[in-house]
Amino acid sequence: MNNAKMWLVVSPSVGVPIFLGAVAVGSFSVHVAVLSITSWFDDFLLGVPLGSCYVRASLSTDAPDTAKARYAIPSPDGGTEITVILPDGTTAKAILQEPDVLASAEPLAK
Amino acid sequence: MSDDPDKVWPTGLTLREAEEVHSYLIDGTRVFGLIALLAHILVAVSTPWLG
Repeated sequence: MNNAKMWLVVSPSVGVPIFLGAVAVGSFSVHVAVLSITSWFDDFLLGVPLGSCYVRASLSTDAPDTAKARYAIPSPDGGTEITVILPDGTTAKAILQEPDVLASAEPLAK
Repeated sequence: MSDDPDKVWPTGLTLREAEEVHSYLIDGTRVFGLIALLAHILVAVSTPWLG
């Protein structure tokens, strides 16, 4: 009862609502702060297993734009030239060359 | 501060009445705390909260 004397100078009709209101506002704000940065609460509301949102995020339902066709032909320098027809109708080429073996990568002569 | 238990203070309460009000507030806080503790234990067990 250390603090009981505060009610001698603070009317309970004022102090009690302030006390209860502070508890309510404080606890609500803390819970909003915690749940706003977690993902499992959304899973709980959706009725799915908790933690499955990460799987859903990685398996996006948006179909990626894929190329319509691609052709690979040997290039004169021994590599492979790949022509890709992009979704917007333009083409892009990529040339795959045989890897160069640098002298520094060769084993030292004995 | 006077220790006269029958003195009526500006809020209209005597010391005994103030202590009675305060005891209800303390009891309510204890019950609230126990329920909150139980609720937090259940959440910690049943959700990924706190890892």
